[in-house]
Formats: sequence, C-alpha cells, structure tokens
Amino acid sequence: MNLDELRATAAARHDTCAQIKKMIVSRLDLPIEPAWITDDQPLFGRGLELDSLDVLELYVAIEAEFGVALYDSDMSVFGSVSRLADHVNPALVEQAPTGSA
Amino acid sequence: MESLTSPVKAAHPDGAVYGTVLDAEVALRFSTLDAEYEAIRERAALLDLSGERIIELSGGGATDFAQKVLARDVEYLTAERCMTSLVLAEDGTVVDQVVVWGREDGLLLESSTGAGTRLLEHLRAHAEPGVEITDRTAEHALFGLEGPYAWGVVGRLIDGELAALPFESVVDTQWDGVDIVFARTGVTGEYGYKVLVPRESAERLWTKALEQTVPAGQEAVELAMLEVRQPVVRHEAGGGVDVLEMGAGWLVDITKDEFVGRDAVVAAFEGTAERRTVGFSGGTEVPAPGTPVTVGGETIGEVVHAVHSVGLKSALGLLRLPPDLAAAGLKLTVGDTEVTTLTSPYVTPKSWSTPII
Repeated sequence: MNLDELRATAAARHDTCAQIKKMIVSRLDLPIEPAWITDDQPLFGRGLELDSLDVLELYVAIEAEFGVALYDSDMSVFGSVSRLADHVNPALVEQAPTGSA
Repeated sequence: MESLTSPVKAAHPDGAVYGTVLDAEVALRFSTLDAEYEAIRERAALLDLSGERIIELSGGGATDFAQKVLARDVEYLTAERCMTSLVLAEDGTVVDQVVVWGREDGLLLESSTGAGTRLLEHLRAHAEPGVEITDRTAEHALFGLEGPYAWGVVGRLIDGELAALPFESVVDTQWDGVDIVFARTGVTGEYGYKVLVPRESAERLWTKALEQTVPAGQEAVELAMLEVRQPVVRHEAGGGVDVLEMGAGWLVDITKDEFVGRDAVVAAFEGTAERRTVGFSGGTEVPAPGTPVTVGGETIGEVVHAVHSVGLKSALGLLRLPPDLAAAGLKLTVGDTEVTTLTSPYVTPKSWSTPII
C-alpha cells in the first residue's frame, strides 16, 4: 500500500469509530463529546467505565444502527471502540492486511 | 530522597534479577519472563509493588487539594472506593499516573513504579494551607494479585467474599489478625487485587501468598499492561507529549472545572494534534524507541516503546504517527521490518471469559 491507500484505509476506520462513539454517547447519555473518546480506550473498567446495563443498551443500539447482532458470549468485542468497529464493519478487517485485528 | 527497596526482598526467590526503575530498585524477574507472564495470563501472579510510593493527603483541605492536582474528579470518592487518575504539570505533560484510595480521613495516592519522588515533589510544590502531604511508604508494603484465577487466591488467603467486589472497591479488613486495606483494582486486564499491609507483617503475607501464586516481576507486569493498552507512564510520556498524543485522554476528566494542567489539556482537545499513538506487532527483533516508521521509504513516525510479547510471539509496541494514519489495520515498516497496527486490547484477557465462582 502506498501512503494514499493507507490514509484511505485509516479514514474508513476513523469514520466507523466516530459513528460508534456518537452512538455510545447518545444512547448512554454520557456528558462528554464523542471525539473525547479515543479509538483504543477500554470501554469497561477504568476506561469509559461502562457496566453490564450499558452493554445491554449497546447490544440494542448496535443492531439498530449497524444491523449487526452481537452476543454476550464474546465480551472482547467491547475491548475498545476500534475492536467494536471490526465487528460492526467487517470490511475494515477484510481490507486490512493479513494478521491485523 | 532515598531509593525504594522491597521490604520483603529477603523472602524473594533465589536468583531474582533486580533493576532500577526511576527512584526504585525493583525485581525485574523472579524466574523467567515466560513463566511469570503465563501466571498472569493463565493462573495467578503475586506482585511486589514496593516501587510504588504511598502518599497520604490529610487535613481539612485534602479533598480540595486532591481536586486541584488530580485530573479526574475525586470529590465524591468514598473510603470504599479507589480510582486511577493522571497528575499533570501546568503544560499538560504527565507527572504520573496514580491510584487514588479513598480514606476516612483523607486520601492515599499510590504512585506508579519508581515515580513517587517526582510525584511527591510535584505535590509539595503545589501544597496549600490545610493539607498535609505525608510519605507513608515506609509504614506499609503493597502487593498485587493478578490473573484469571487470582480471585481463588483471595478466597483462600483472605476472604472469599472479597474476590467478587465491584471493580475499584476498597475494604478495610483483617488478615491473620492484622489490619489491611484491600482493593480490587488490576492493571493487566485480568482479575486484579491489591493488599496494603503493615510493613512488619509484609514478609509473612508475601510468603503465605507465594504458596498459591507465582511471583511476577516488573517486566512481565509491564508487558501485560501494554497488551491491554494500560499506560506505562515512564515509557510513554517522555518527549513533551501531551495526554492526547499519549492516548491517555481517558484518564482526564475534561468536564472538571479546574485542575493543574487543565488549560493545556483543553487546548489539546480543541487543537489539531500532530501525533497520535497506535499499537503494532510484527517481527522478532524489538525496535528501540525512536526507530523510524516508514511507508515507501518516507518517514511518517517513530517507535515509542516496544518489547517482545510472549502472548503474540512477536515484537509488540506503540508507534507515534500523524493522526490521519493512527489506525489499526495498516501495514507499515519499522526499521527493516514489516509490522501491522492493531486494535486494542492486543491480547484478550482470559479473565473476560472466566467467571468468579
């Protein structure tokens, strides 16, 4: 990949991450700007400090906004915004080089 | 200020390898990195956190002072809770990352490894009437338990009910007739606990805990922290980077009205960052900090910090790149090696699929 192609790949991920951040802030009514959440920020624990009730809300929100059903057997989906982006937009993984994500 | 050494050094396993981390002499390895890492990720590891200075803020002005020097809101931090926060300089650079323990008569700040002297000097430079800043490190020993089955050790060693406490809970309790402070607060993504014990009882507790755990040194702990993108300030905060460039903006509460460094952080949030941090893996050689990151021969960034990841069986580290290229899923060249940028966590903790029973 040349630099322009890398920028385009990165921009696609940033767009999906921005959508997810906006959804999280809106659905959970968080008192922050979506842009304050970083792509790598943990969503649980000392990250965004979400709890199990928040997760239930996010399951519903993700299916409504991205048409993707997630299951509680794999909590690693919520490891970070960027990790979640891989699941709501599989094209990000497909276009990424082998070994990523 | 005197360099910190472990009060239980005499009880450490033979062959432990020591090194200096800022103001502390710490055990880098007790046995091998692989064995200690395996304990953290698969079973239960015992951590000697003697390199972390314990600083008490007390007096009528303690909470107000803490509000001023901590980048997150601690106004309602009760004696049953703890939290992690950054301490910033006026220019927004990171002085330290601390765990703040709520106490009935003030707060305890736990520095990161070896950074306690710098933290203490910073606190004293900002001291105000009505607050007492006291170094309590010599009175205690601090131990950690980390691992997907650390909860079992807590149950057998102290009290089973403590194992399932909510994250960042603090309990005053007893172990073997000794008053201890117990917290559920880990750093590796696995189940994690800390025990603050009077120094005179430290060796007894260490020895007892060692019957059920594997001791893990600084190298294994920092690797496990990196794998779940928990900041290690001493590796990530140098070179004048601000908290956003470091990727630690989530340890700052920008909605808080006032704290040291806030103006700089607000300016960073409102400005256009020149650099962002993203994880990478690839190759077997561990690149040194500052190694150029290139695309088609053009330098676009540099390595911040890297180690060999036991879990990934390759080099793992952090890159600082222009914001439009700081994303997972890119193939870049570090030195002479092709690497891939990653989503975090880079290794999924076993504890996320291991219930406490």
